[in-house]
Amino acid sequence: MKEILFISGKGGTGKTSLTSSFIQLADNCVACDYDVDASNLPILLKPQKVSSHDFTAGYTAHIDEESCISCGLCAELCRFDAISDEFQVFPLSCEGCGFCEKICPVQAITMYPRSSGHWAEGMFNQKHKVFFADLRPGEENSGKLVAQVKTMARKRADTEPTPLIIADGPPGIGCAVISSMVEVDLIVLVTEPSLSGFHDLQRVYQLMQLRGIKGMVIINKWDLNPNISQEIENWALNNGLPLAGKIPFSNIIVQSIAQAEIPATNPVIRKMLFPLWENIIEQLTVV
Amino acid sequence: MQIAVASGKGGTGKTLVSTCLLRILGDKNSVLIDTDVEEPNAGLVLMQPTQKTTSVSRFVPEINPEYCNLCGECAEICNFNALVVLSDKVLLFNELCHSCGACAYLCPQRAIKEIEHPIGVIEEAQLPGYGTLLTGRLNVGEAQSPPLIKAAKSQKAASALRIIDCPPGTTCAMIESIRDSDYCLLVTEPTPFGLHDLELSLEAIEMLNIPGGLVINRWQGEESELTALSDKTGVPILGRIPFSPELARAYMQGRDPLEAMPSLHGILTDIFNQIKGALS
Repeated sequence: MKEILFISGKGGTGKTSLTSSFIQLADNCVACDYDVDASNLPILLKPQKVSSHDFTAGYTAHIDEESCISCGLCAELCRFDAISDEFQVFPLSCEGCGFCEKICPVQAITMYPRSSGHWAEGMFNQKHKVFFADLRPGEENSGKLVAQVKTMARKRADTEPTPLIIADGPPGIGCAVISSMVEVDLIVLVTEPSLSGFHDLQRVYQLMQLRGIKGMVIINKWDLNPNISQEIENWALNNGLPLAGKIPFSNIIVQSIAQAEIPATNPVIRKMLFPLWENIIEQLTVV
Repeated sequence: MQIAVASGKGGTGKTLVSTCLLRILGDKNSVLIDTDVEEPNAGLVLMQPTQKTTSVSRFVPEINPEYCNLCGECAEICNFNALVVLSDKVLLFNELCHSCGACAYLCPQRAIKEIEHPIGVIEEAQLPGYGTLLTGRLNVGEAQSPPLIKAAKSQKAASALRIIDCPPGTTCAMIESIRDSDYCLLVTEPTPFGLHDLELSLEAIEMLNIPGGLVINRWQGEESELTALSDKTGVPILGRIPFSPELARAYMQGRDPLEAMPSLHGILTDIFNQIKGALS
């Protein structure tokens, strides 16, 4: 089993449009959405839900008013300003470290498990399994939820032998992205030819290198800025990153997304993306 | 006044809106804080040299093997599994540590002290006549951005106008960015993705009890779903930036968006006046 991850650094470069299309083109794969706090892949794949599960991670402190003697030690020691002057816990600030529980002289504080969202398994096109999740707004633990989705997807690819996992990654370079990269065989960097697109690409590339993962590049909407597109191509060449392909700005893709359709269901886009998919698969055989 | 510019979905135009707002409204005391510390982009749009760089650290434990008797208490205390006690030493996983300080405080042997672990920098750039840009930049490989966001936001607290260019998503980094703001401007786009992620952002601002308003970017006339959402939540639509290939191209090429779309000036001024009205 091999896993391909699509990431970009910058948001809005077209990760989900392309990932959904390649899932459509793949013969047999398990699909995953690791962008757990803004999960958009299911909007296009419209999977039939097979099962849904609560995701509990970490804890929130609760102070029992009756037993609390208002000594103030918890508020003084809390690094996250999660305890008010009236000794109430702000759940959004509480990181669940449990320091307060351990130092409270009258044991007035209890840590409760925290429901952070849920993850689900679905079925797409009656053959592909899809794993996705929703992190509740304001929650931490996005990295852990990504790990949960990944674990379940890999397990499924094992039990129902599937050669490939195709994953749509989150933007940025933080905990969710780091978690997305675990055990990945090939990263496809989806970029756009803007200063910010290029800048963000380089940062996510550095992260990829730290993790020792091989990658390749897709330049989306390349014709909106041929100069920077050329710069990105040169940069990719100098860094040994093969170009999977360049995609021109396409109104068909814009319209597909507006209608919540996978762009590659359109024959023109399918034809345009097919060579890129072949390049990715070829690259996957050498990593 | 502190205005957070957020979105949920990435690439909807947060940085476009926040940088243009500052240019239109800012004076020499204003400040724009880029808290998208994983991928900060405001500096690429404003293109002014960094004059000052400040390092930001967080605390992580350091175990003194001379005092440590491998009792295992610290591993027991740590709720994040950042410490593992082996038969001959204690292993620390920095990326799992949340810097809560419990292990150092509670170690029976007093064998743990906290040391500073650098996580990123704050870059400061002077902007010609419209204030200061503070950019938080997370070190590549660091998992946790909230401490850096907090540090960036603690600077220039007395500025009369503070604009926060927030990260995408609705996790703890976004919450830390919008926290304590007087108003949250949510930049959205009229697509199913934009709508889905906007709903989550609306939940986030409601949890923090921050008044909010919407800006529809790449507006093409159709907005019935956004209007319905606005009606349902009571969060008003403050303005619309029309879809313009010229603006998209100019912005991508690093040209001035206010020149590529002169009407943007009026649209954003009008949005700001509505925010002022809502807050007065």
